[in-house]
Amino acid sequence: MRSPNHIALIAVGTLFLIALAWWTFSKPKVDVVMSVPGMDNRGDRAGESVENVTIGEFFESFFSPGASLSEIWPRFRGGDYDNIKKTGIPLIDKFEPDNPKIQWSVELGEGHAGPSVYKGLVYVMDYDEKQKADMLRCFTLKDGKEVWRRWYNVNIKRNHGMSRTIPAVTEKYILTIGPRSHVMCLDRETGDYLWGIDVEKEYESQIPFWYTGQCPLIDDGKAIVATGGNALMIAVDCATGEKVWETPNDHGLKMSHASVMPWEFGGRKMYVYSAVGGVVAIAADGKDAGEILWQSLKWGCSVVAPSPVCLPDGKIFLTAGYGAGSMVFQVREKNGSLSIEKLYEYKPKDGLASEQQTPVFYNGLVYGIIPKDGGALRNQFVCVDPGDFRKVIWSSGKTNRFGLGPYMIADGKFWILNDDGMLSIVRPSKTKFVLLDQIRVFDARDAWAPLAVADGYLILRDDHRMICMDIQRPS
Amino acid sequence: MTDNSENNAQNRREFIRSSSRFALALGIGGLGGLVLNKAKAGEYVWQIDPFECTQCGRCADECVLTPSAVKCFHAFDLCGYCDLCGGYLKPGAIEMNTAAENQLCPTAAIKRNFVEEPFFEYTIDEDLCIGCAKCVEGCSSFGNGSLHLQINQDLCVNCNQCAIARMCPSDAISRVPYDDPYKVKGDFTKSKS
Repeated sequence: MRSPNHIALIAVGTLFLIALAWWTFSKPKVDVVMSVPGMDNRGDRAGESVENVTIGEFFESFFSPGASLSEIWPRFRGGDYDNIKKTGIPLIDKFEPDNPKIQWSVELGEGHAGPSVYKGLVYVMDYDEKQKADMLRCFTLKDGKEVWRRWYNVNIKRNHGMSRTIPAVTEKYILTIGPRSHVMCLDRETGDYLWGIDVEKEYESQIPFWYTGQCPLIDDGKAIVATGGNALMIAVDCATGEKVWETPNDHGLKMSHASVMPWEFGGRKMYVYSAVGGVVAIAADGKDAGEILWQSLKWGCSVVAPSPVCLPDGKIFLTAGYGAGSMVFQVREKNGSLSIEKLYEYKPKDGLASEQQTPVFYNGLVYGIIPKDGGALRNQFVCVDPGDFRKVIWSSGKTNRFGLGPYMIADGKFWILNDDGMLSIVRPSKTKFVLLDQIRVFDARDAWAPLAVADGYLILRDDHRMICMDIQRPS
Repeated sequence: MTDNSENNAQNRREFIRSSSRFALALGIGGLGGLVLNKAKAGEYVWQIDPFECTQCGRCADECVLTPSAVKCFHAFDLCGYCDLCGGYLKPGAIEMNTAAENQLCPTAAIKRNFVEEPFFEYTIDEDLCIGCAKCVEGCSSFGNGSLHLQINQDLCVNCNQCAIARMCPSDAISRVPYDDPYKVKGDFTKSKS
């Protein structure tokens, strides 16, 4: 016979087991909703068709320009891909008070496409919403008169700007990429259409958020485009439009807003590309042209706008916005082959980072503007030691904050445009922030397009206007 | 007859008494209403200035109410309706969809609805919002700043010493007139500029 204590113990144990079973198997709440993909009702995008576009279909010429100027700023980040204008007409150190000396101004469609300049002519991509036309427009540098325009019809919806890319210009050719990655090659002098590629259609590429931001590259007579679809990168003969090589995209890297940067290291010339999903270098010449020399998939951000900063010692600095931060790699050469190793990574508040603009390497130091999520240094212009990009040598301070606007070096000075239209001249000191002068050029909105300088003229733009300033130093 | 005369006299007295009581009650009630209305018109309530807010997250913890009376408001006229929304998606989210692992909001209080390619509308489920400001920080850092915090006056108990105002590191919370109790972005932005 069991004692009452045993019976009580069994009863308590049974109750405990029942309670445990109830707690385990009953739903804690009847109205719990699982957050799963597809709750936004977007639907399947696989069946979306790509619009048929006749690239370069229309042309209109307005007049023949006369005597030309001599200097060039022929592509994104200039002739040497470093955003530094090393030679040319001396430029001012100070503005005339309240007089930005605006040479001319033209209205453009909503966008952030910067210009390139070639011997007195300005080339800029523009999208005309009324005409639904993606166009390359050519203006005179001196007075801003439109010389010609070539365009094609394509449907683009407003989405934080439409045109975003800078044409690549050589003596013979002009190469452009439109918002939906339509590549167009023209004769520079006449504007005649030579050939075009619909990258989205031909390579099944995914157009990045807010449209294509990659600026095209002409190198050694070849058009270089990171397609990021069925082929990772392609080279096209500018004269014929024939494909020279196509790089297989085994890892499915996607097109980013970054641009392809030519770089020479370890006796090899290569094209470095910061893609969505990884960083890669592709042989530019030799028997293995078009083949991957090195790559790393550790660089995996969903949005990448700044281009790679490649340093002489083999370091590659990559940065991206939207909380991603930066990553530093080391490329090494051994017995003729190249390899890459990740050194370190950090968040925007811990060192140099950038959301849109590509930092500038100048006289052994790297300069840039910290993004909004960069903690105490947010929006400040900083100088860092490339030995460790987390070591900030100096910053512009709380009273000198900048936005997402562009910056470049010309005549040994930084020209920094805040996205609200304030232009600053800064001495690139190794020890401290030296502000030479500031002036409000115009009441701008989202002035994010890279700057261009040639023949003593600075071209800047916001989301609707392109402005040319005379910044020549008086003789 | 006599009985009827007495009854009539009583009814008149009763009528006069009732009328006097009603007039007195009406007078007192009207006066009270006027006093109350005047008092309300001069009252103040607590509100957040979204331009001073630094999204520290203390509003979620320090309010005497659980969940907090501070909620995320959305100024639709400022929103970019982006696919890649810094207020909805975690930084570094590879997939832009509604999966829990991609959402920044700890309580899934933001609803993402497809409009047309490539635009999405984002709305706030106030019952789920705890006022943590994670979405506000994301929207301010990477977007147009359309998501912002406000004290919901339907929930606020209007403490004499507001707990979140006392703890706010940027002094973003202050008393505002009872008849103009919100500092919502959008229209408020225009008046600021």
